[in-house]
Amino acid sequence: MSTRKRRDDGGVAYLDVEGTLRERTVDALRDRTLRGNLDTAATSWGESRDAMREHYGLDDMRERAREIRRSNIRNLPALLTQMQEKVREAGGTVVRAADGAEACRYITGLAQARGVKVVAKSKSMATEEIKLNEALVDAGIEVVETDLGEWILQLANEHPSHIIAPAVHLNREQVAALFREEAGTDDVPDDREGLVAHARVRLREKFAEAGIGVSGVNLGVASTGTVCVVENEGNARLVTSQPPIHVAVMGMERVVADWDEAAHILQVLPMAAIGQDAANYVNLITGPRREGESDGPEEFHLVIIDGGRGALRGTEFEEALSCIRCGACLYSCPMWRSVGGQAYGSPYSGPIGAVITPLLEGPSSPASRDLPFMSSLCGACGEACPVGIPLQDLLVRARARASSPATRKSGMAFRAWSRLWRRPSTYRAWMAGWRLMLRTRGKDGWATELPGPGAGWTEVRDMPTRWPPRR
Amino acid sequence: MSTGQGGSAQSGDPVVDLLLDSLARRKATAQVVDAADAGREAARWMADAGVARAVLASDPVVERIGLADALKREGIDVRIWPTGLGKRETMGLEGPADVCGVTVPSLAVAERGTIVLEASDGHGRGLDVTSRHHVALLPADRIVRTLGEALALTFADGRPAPSAVSLVSGPSRSSDIEKISTLGAHGALTEHVVIIR
Ligand code: SF4
Repeated sequence: MSTRKRRDDGGVAYLDVEGTLRERTVDALRDRTLRGNLDTAATSWGESRDAMREHYGLDDMRERAREIRRSNIRNLPALLTQMQEKVREAGGTVVRAADGAEACRYITGLAQARGVKVVAKSKSMATEEIKLNEALVDAGIEVVETDLGEWILQLANEHPSHIIAPAVHLNREQVAALFREEAGTDDVPDDREGLVAHARVRLREKFAEAGIGVSGVNLGVASTGTVCVVENEGNARLVTSQPPIHVAVMGMERVVADWDEAAHILQVLPMAAIGQDAANYVNLITGPRREGESDGPEEFHLVIIDGGRGALRGTEFEEALSCIRCGACLYSCPMWRSVGGQAYGSPYSGPIGAVITPLLEGPSSPASRDLPFMSSLCGACGEACPVGIPLQDLLVRARARASSPATRKSGMAFRAWSRLWRRPSTYRAWMAGWRLMLRTRGKDGWATELPGPGAGWTEVRDMPTRWPPRR
Repeated sequence: MSTGQGGSAQSGDPVVDLLLDSLARRKATAQVVDAADAGREAARWMADAGVARAVLASDPVVERIGLADALKREGIDVRIWPTGLGKRETMGLEGPADVCGVTVPSLAVAERGTIVLEASDGHGRGLDVTSRHHVALLPADRIVRTLGEALALTFADGRPAPSAVSLVSGPSRSSDIEKISTLGAHGALTEHVVIIR
């Protein structure tokens, strides 16, 4: 059912996005419905999060969270080895995939080997990053997103616009229209409760059919080999408990050492993400069903993806790996609040997306050129981040790394200018020339059209030929 | 918050009261009852909710309060886990629609209104989410204050990690349509906690 394109080069940005970043932003800014929806979403997030902040001292919890995540990233190789051993001890299979293509090959291969026709998924940014849906569809396997927001987007053939609330840009009427189309009947209610109930029944059928359940992983706990899947709807529990095979897809950086650390991060996550002190369901899974148990998957596969993450360790961008994908920086970002996530053209949007997408895509990609500039550098993101990632600093570094014909040209021009003005003799010569030009070009004390570097100025305003200017 | 006819919404025990407050915040209902009344009270709650079939965890607590008999007296069909029912019926696609999963939490977190469910031979992973209603039978001495305490006990050194642990905090909900919280997405539409003194 997906018409999206797929790529095998390990890139994370979407291939089917249209236009340049600038064009997409302008389109988004013109979309008044979108603006309204984003506003409602960001405001309600802000209010609930502020309540949590006071009640639990969220700001004080940030230091500890930051320490935990930094030490996790420092010890990553050892933690991953331990995680791997513990999952195997519990009867699970662990696969380390260098990139998305490798991960997709493994999962489609598994589905084909077991004769699986339907795969039920719960929301996962990692699978969006590796474009698993496209890979499965190419292999002739039906994929069903079971998270309500993701399912809505799947029906609309759109990409998620937000890490936590994927369909945040569509309103109730738009959703009802999609459900009617999917069900092939007008008999779909258009109140929120009715829509949710409708989806529940349609998706139960899919759970019953699915041969594999694919989930993401919010945290891996190395000491016991447990994966934590945090959710509100209950679909992730169904995905991880009903189909005969559970495949969990985890970015390699999402591992913590032990339950003491996990407890802290699991407390911080829902507060930052949804402004609540608990997510409805946190599923802590250690291997497949045990002997004697009568539900749960018979096979458990953990797919750990590098996808360019490992290479970030030890660089000036290392802290980006601390991210727990809560989405707080998105909601707090004035850019994201105005244009939404779709304009970014990548599964990861907002400030963290503007940092991480270029890093995972490589320095010469279009994303590298544009995305780091999707920020006013106001610092609201760094302030909101529950694990204390200095996002604004990373954005500045990402800008410095950005390289394009345009940035190279302006760099050259600025270097030449600085050489000219650095010495008094060349500076004086420049000024004399400039004055002469103003006098010859100007009329009645004003120059209205200048050549060279002055053209940009006079395009929208005049320049006085002497100071103070004549009225 | 439902108090139940024979139960009370206040217990005098600060940790229990904290849990009651948190559960209310999570849109779960709760009652505090004596062990002698627990079976009858839980059965009456289910009858009032229109439950046609109850799927019970196979657990000493369920037996101790005599729940199966109390349910039968209310005319409710009783199945004990593992039920041996087919997949479609377990998932609510066949058989009665108003099924209630009855669980026995290993712990509960007072501060956040979270109950801890451990999978085992007698306690299915999907027991609470596959059903429309969910009743949890919680002995009061299993309540701890923080999530940190609950996780430390559940995953203590030397204790084998259960294959699946679920932290459940209120009925299933989704905020995916216009960011407004709507109950009963994929999991149970109701959650009722019977706290047994
Ligand atoms: S960068 Fe920080 S605020 Fe943004 S998603 Fe990651 S953890 Fe959350």
